[in-house]
This record gives sequence, structure tokens and C-alpha cells, in this order.
Amino acid sequence: MVEVRYENVTKRYENEFEAVKGLDLEIRDGEFLVLLGPSGCGKSTTLRMLAGLEDVSEGSILIDGAVVNDLPPGARGLGMVFQSYALYPHMTIAENLSFGLRMAKGEARLSDTEIVQRVQDTAKLMELTDQLDKKPKQLSGGQRQRVALGRALIRQPKVLLMDEPLSNLDAELRHQMRAEIRRLHDTLGTTTVYVTHDQIEAMTLADRIAILNEGVLQQHGAPLDVYNDPANEFVRGFLCKHIDEIVETANTLFPPE
Amino acid sequence: MKESWGLAKRWYTPAEVSTLRLWIPIAIAINVALLSTDWIRASAVTLQLGLLACGAMGLLWWLLPDGENGWKRDMALAKAGLVLLIAILRFAAGPQMAIDIFVLAWLIIPASLALVWLSSPIVSAWAKGRITTEGAEAGLARNKALSPRLGAAGAHILLLHAVSIVLLPVLWILDVALSPGNILGGDIGSSDWTTEHFEKMLDGDSSFWIWLRNSLIVSLGTTLMGLLLAVPAAYAFARYRFRGRDGAMFAFLLVQMFPGIIILVPYFMVMKSLGLLNTSLGLILAYSVTALPLCVWMLKGFFDTVPRELEEAALLDGCNQFQVFYKVVLPLSIPAVAVTALFSFLAAWNEYLLALTFNTSNDMYTLPVGLASLISSTGQAWGDFAAASLLVSLPVVILFIFFQRFLVEGLSAGSVKG
Repeated sequence: MVEVRYENVTKRYENEFEAVKGLDLEIRDGEFLVLLGPSGCGKSTTLRMLAGLEDVSEGSILIDGAVVNDLPPGARGLGMVFQSYALYPHMTIAENLSFGLRMAKGEARLSDTEIVQRVQDTAKLMELTDQLDKKPKQLSGGQRQRVALGRALIRQPKVLLMDEPLSNLDAELRHQMRAEIRRLHDTLGTTTVYVTHDQIEAMTLADRIAILNEGVLQQHGAPLDVYNDPANEFVRGFLCKHIDEIVETANTLFPPE
Repeated sequence: MKESWGLAKRWYTPAEVSTLRLWIPIAIAINVALLSTDWIRASAVTLQLGLLACGAMGLLWWLLPDGENGWKRDMALAKAGLVLLIAILRFAAGPQMAIDIFVLAWLIIPASLALVWLSSPIVSAWAKGRITTEGAEAGLARNKALSPRLGAAGAHILLLHAVSIVLLPVLWILDVALSPGNILGGDIGSSDWTTEHFEKMLDGDSSFWIWLRNSLIVSLGTTLMGLLLAVPAAYAFARYRFRGRDGAMFAFLLVQMFPGIIILVPYFMVMKSLGLLNTSLGLILAYSVTALPLCVWMLKGFFDTVPRELEEAALLDGCNQFQVFYKVVLPLSIPAVAVTALFSFLAAWNEYLLALTFNTSNDMYTLPVGLASLISSTGQAWGDFAAASLLVSLPVVILFIFFQRFLVEGLSAGSVKG
């Protein structure tokens, strides 16, 4: 049972700016949760606090019922995919994938043969078997994205975090990777928190979406429930209207018979 | 069709003419500069002839054909002939040293080129305005092939001049080092050659080895110490926000703004009270501190370009702050660190003033101080000095060849993209 809970979490910066205000949110085991909101709404900060890259000013974040506020990022058992992929340029793909495993200490440290095995398995899962000896520079955008995903998944994380992972890809690749991410989630069942500002991405990927604006959680629920029953004007404008417009455009272009 | 006819004709100037238009002023400038040799030698006849030639070349430039006035080409041809004539007169009248041949080349070659090119059929036809649409279009195509080649030739000629200006002193030193006797002067390559100076310097009992040992200890020590201090400092400046950060960065720059001689006396007092005069450690300390600001700024500039997400990814992969630095940031920064190391090494290797002040015994001299001691008031061993100078430069040259790749990479930082 892996569940993540935000309890009255506030993030306040040194200049008194509150990026996240009193957030209460629960992410259930095996769930795909999408944090959705416009730029500067605090969705990335919410994710980065869970990752341990930002300190929590007030409240607490729990993973599996344990408060992780003061645990270093590496100790939380998370995998993260960054917008820019953040692959290590000086390492081969195999080294990139295995870096986290090699950094583990004590009991958590796998034997070298196990690490090689894991790299092979992950490479197979991500269709990277032929790329293992290359450097990140030699890969295409889509391949780099898959390495980043593989690197996050190889340690079998309790929670998988993704911060706008598709925004650097072109439209077609984005579509492909979106399907692939959902397929991976269905296969592995890893609890996932996914940050995006793209309504369509949120609607198609999520088990549940949580919409934020100006640091405040507006509404959360299954995508269609939120769409059919927006809690306030902001959600109506940001989600419902946007989707309606897209549907309308599609209907003008391809009028239904 | 009409439009394109006008266009091709309006834009077409034969590459030869544009080349002359560009290069004759350069030739004039160089000739005027070279007239100073005649001035120094007080050689009135050649000076006057030189001035005349410059004037004729100026006229030649002014009369270069413009594609409309046919008479200009004939006048320009005449002027080119005049320049050639003056050059021959000058050759007959003046001294004929290497420098004179060189000066004459800058008259004869441009004038001959003008003669040949301006009388060629293509240029003559164009100069007299007798050119068809097809001719102009073919000419433009011909220019496209010809211009880069003429341009490259010209660029290389200028570069050769620059290279000779740089290499001449080195050649001279080489000549002094290889000539018998400890004299300065004479023509390059004019006497027998000998390796006696090198042998004397490299002899087992020679002070050269002591100086070399001191220089190596001091330079390597400075490099090591400088990097140990500069790398962490630069990383902290690049990554962390802390009280006094901006002030400290500025203070670092401030120190760089004063000439070294200002801190010489305070340094001396400090070293004296610490008992570090006549020690390598004293120099290492002083050099590291002096080189530190620039090293820190150079490295900080590079660390700033390493994306923060890369470090965050490493944190999530289980690294602590220190591991993030030496497993991810440092391997990416090798070019910058190499450049910084080279810089510290060179600064220490070449430094003279502090080394002279802090060290009073021959046993502690570094190479620059040792070299200077060869030229004393009692005996001026120029041959030994020249030989030793070349030996001192050797490691630097080797280092540069070795580090060249890093230098280019390190100075054009910012190529780290995941």
C-alpha cells in the first residue's frame, strides 16, 4: 500500500510569497493523479515538495503513513522525470539508467549482476536495448524521454513523479509518449503524480485530476466528474470551456454526419 | 527580362577589379609604414621614390574602371606601369637588404597584378561598357568561383605578415641561443652555430636545474592549491544564495583591479613575519591568492551553465550534496577546470616580481628570476639567457598543445545540454 498524503501543506518563500496554501490532498495506491493548473499555480512546487527538492514551510507530507518532510530526496524511494530529461551527459545510457542503483548503500545495494539484469529489463521495457552504449547526445528527443522514464522506474519507486515530461516533444511524439506512459502505468501499477498545464493531457491520462490555482486546490476528482460538475468558475473556465472550445473547433473542421 | 538585364549589369563588377579596389589601399598603407625604414636610414632618394610610388598607386586606385568610362582603364594601366617603373628605379637606387626586397614586393606585385588583370579581355570589355546580359550573368557566376579564392589568398598574405611579426623575436632568440659567444645582435643566421649555451644550461651542476625544480614546485603547488580553493568557492557562488555573496564576489573583483606592485610591500611584511621568505610555500600561498579571483570567476561562469535539474536528478538518484558535485557537476566541468589549472600554472610559471622580492638566495630562485640573474651588471650572458628562455618556454608550449582542445571547449562553455 503506497499512498501519499498532503496535510495542510504550505510553501512560503523567503520573500513571503506563498506558492502553495494549506493543501490537503490524498493520492491513493496505484493511482495516476494529474496536478493541473495554469503557469505559476503551484503545481510544480507541490510536486517538488514531495520529491524533497523544496522544503515544506508548514504542514506535512506523508508517504505510506510516514512523515517525509525532512528526509533527503534520495531516501524517499521516488523516481522523477524532468521536463528537460536531465540525463547525465557524461554517462552512457546504461550508466544513466544504473546510476541510482549504484548510488544505493547498505542493504538496498544490489549486486553488480542484479544491476546489469535490471538495466537489461528496463531497456527492454523502454525499447532502448540498442542504445545502451550511446551517450544522451546521440539520442532523439523521444529516446531521451524514454531513458528519463527508465531511469525513474529502474529503482522500482514507490511513487513516480513527472514534471511536464512531454512539453519538449513535438505533437506526434507527445501523442505516442502519452499512450506509452499510460500503458506503463497500467502494466506496473506504480502510484504516479503527473504535473501538466495541458488540459487534454490531464483528461486522457488521469485516474483523478487535481486542479490548482494561485496555490489553492480548486477541485479534485475523476476527469469526467470534474468536467461535468465543475466546483467553481475557475474550473469551469480553465477546464470545461477550454475542452468545449476544442470540441467545437473539431466539429467545425469535421462536421458530424 | 528587361528587369533582370538591368540587375545583372548593375551588380556586376569583375572580381579582379573589386580585389584591386580593396587591396591597393592596403598596399599603400603598408608602403607608407615601410617608408619609416628609409626615414631611419636617412636615405633621401629612396624615400622620395617611395612617396612617389604611393602617390601613383593612389591615382591607380582612383582611376580603377567603373564599367562606364573606358578612358579610366587606360589611365589606370598607365599608372600601374608608372608604379612598376618607380619600383625598378628604387631597386637600382637604394640599398638591397632583405627589407628592401620586401618593400619592393609590395610595389611590384600589386602593380603587376593591376597590369595583367586590367588588360585581360573580360575586364577590358566590361570597363569599356561593352558587355551583354549574358556576359554580365556569366561574369557574376565567374565571380562566385573567383572571389573566395582571391579573398583567401589575400587573407593568407595578411596572416603570414602577422605570423612573421610574432615569430621574428622567437627566431632572433633562437639565433642568439645557437650563436657562439654571449653577444646580442648581428644578422640572423649570419654566424656559425653551436649548442654550447644549451649544454652549459643543461649541465649537471648548472643552476638551471635548481631553478627548474623551484619553478615546478611553486607552479604545481599553486595549481593544486588554487584549484582546491577555487573549485568549491566557485561552486558555492554559483549554486547557493547566502548573506554577503554578492559583496564577496565584488570584493574578489576589486582585488584584481590593483597592480601587483601595490600589494608587494604588505605581502613582504606578511611573509617575513610568517617566516616564509626564501621558501616555496610562501610563493605558493601568494600566487594562489592572487590567481584565486580570476579562477573563481571563470569556474563560476561555467558552473552557472550546468542545469540545475541535472543536480536534482542526482539528488533523487540518492546522491548527497557532495556526491552530486563530484559525480555529476565535476565530470561535466573538466574543460573549465583544465583551463583554470592551466591559467594558474602559467601565472605562477611566469611570475617575476614576487619571486624576486621574496627570494634572496640562488637556491630558491624560480626560472624567471634565475633567467634575469644571467643578465647582471657584472656579466651579460645573452647566449645563455636566450638558451634558457627557450628551455623555459618549452613546457608552456607543450602544455598548450596538450590542453588546446580543452581550451576551446572551456572558453566556449555552455555546451552542456541534457
